[in-house]
Amino acid sequence: MSTLREVIHENVREGALFEKLDRNWVRCFACGHCCKIPEGQPGVCKVRYNRGGSLFVPWGYVGSIQCDPIEKKPFFHAHPGALAYSFGMLGCDLHCAYCQNWVTSQALRDPAAVAGSMQVTPAELVHDALRQGGRVIVSTYNEPLITSEWAIAVFKEARAAGLVTGFVSNGNGTPQVLEYVRPWVDLYKVDLKSFDDRHYRQLGGRLQPILDSIGRLHEMGFWLEIVTLVIPGFNDSNDELTRLAQFLASVSPDIPWHVTAFHKDYKMTDPENTTAETLMRAAEIGKKAGLRYVYAGNLPGMVGDWENTRCPNCQSLLIERYGYLIKGYFLTPQGCCPSCAASIPGRWDPAFRRQITDRPFVPLVRSQSDFLVLDF
Amino acid sequence: MAYIIAEPCIGTKDTACVDVCPVDCIHPAKDRTYDDGRPTFDEVPQLYIDPTECIDCGACVPVCPVTAIFALDDLPEKWQGYVETNKNYVDSGEFQRDKHQRARS
Repeated sequence: MSTLREVIHENVREGALFEKLDRNWVRCFACGHCCKIPEGQPGVCKVRYNRGGSLFVPWGYVGSIQCDPIEKKPFFHAHPGALAYSFGMLGCDLHCAYCQNWVTSQALRDPAAVAGSMQVTPAELVHDALRQGGRVIVSTYNEPLITSEWAIAVFKEARAAGLVTGFVSNGNGTPQVLEYVRPWVDLYKVDLKSFDDRHYRQLGGRLQPILDSIGRLHEMGFWLEIVTLVIPGFNDSNDELTRLAQFLASVSPDIPWHVTAFHKDYKMTDPENTTAETLMRAAEIGKKAGLRYVYAGNLPGMVGDWENTRCPNCQSLLIERYGYLIKGYFLTPQGCCPSCAASIPGRWDPAFRRQITDRPFVPLVRSQSDFLVLDF
Repeated sequence: MAYIIAEPCIGTKDTACVDVCPVDCIHPAKDRTYDDGRPTFDEVPQLYIDPTECIDCGACVPVCPVTAIFALDDLPEKWQGYVETNKNYVDSGEFQRDKHQRARS
């Protein structure tokens, strides 16, 4: 029986995001670590590795698939109500103690994370997405940047089939990887986890490459939304949230900022779950910093008006939500406020095309002939 | 938590760890001059990891030719003192002048 590591090492191909160095070393550009990797070793992510002086990267499998409302990613200003066909591979460049996808993200680091995978082609994935009624296809669950070559292969097929594409990412990017994915990625969510470099180092990264990437993503014209999971005692001080929100507003006050509620998960079980009061305090801080679209998530029905989109000009209700459910949609076909005609930033459809689902569901059970299930 | 460089590094100072570290938290680097007066590569017995800047990625562990680097949880009991030894050289990017000199005297 193959070990997970062996299976992962077989499902690879030569990557695009690296340069060769002397002594048969390579430097990877897939994430902000920019690992210098000697022959025979993996990078920090443990899924991109140097074989014979070249970089081999994940290819031809998925670790998990699920269909979600796009509001769960969360994107609130892109194709509301659409079904987002979501896939992930394995591995991450960070190791957050509160990861909610740790079974896949930490599969190569933590023996307790036992994840499976199945071999699949880009065409099969896109076919499945269309069969489920997906309008958006998203690389998520593990860090998409470290599996960018595969995601782009899938997205090329997806674009040809008329699907919108997205990354749900920690934002620890490089100029090289963002240039590489820009032609094929429409929507980009960054999880900005803290505004304190020391906290980021505890999670396995640094703050600066993430801030640099947020600025770049906005400049390069991706549709960008930011999420901050508010964790009591870790990142919920007024000072830290204020500096974080002011940074986002300095990039653009039109970037939607989602503050979401933490619940105990993986190794982080000490902080209390985030209360609605804390979440609304964070949202107020965002508004005060100048952000025009601030949302409080993970506590449906408990955060007052902070789930809804209002016109920043005349305060008219534009989209009414309860959790992932769209209860009311009032934007014009051009994505404007019906009352004052202010243009609302986002990727809007000409009309609200009904809600496909208000809760996650797993894709249809498929036959063994569709997917080869790896056994390990 | 951070990684710790222990006794096997003394007299070895291979520096493969310095080359792979994605956040440059292993000091002193060879051929690098520091402007804070810290002992340089040729003047120290071993290399040290800055425990505050270390991101706990573990990239340094497999490249060490003498198995000198350990995650805190895996550090052998006999080398527990190296937790302080590492921290006493550099912490948060700053040379710990007094601690380092006291430890070496």
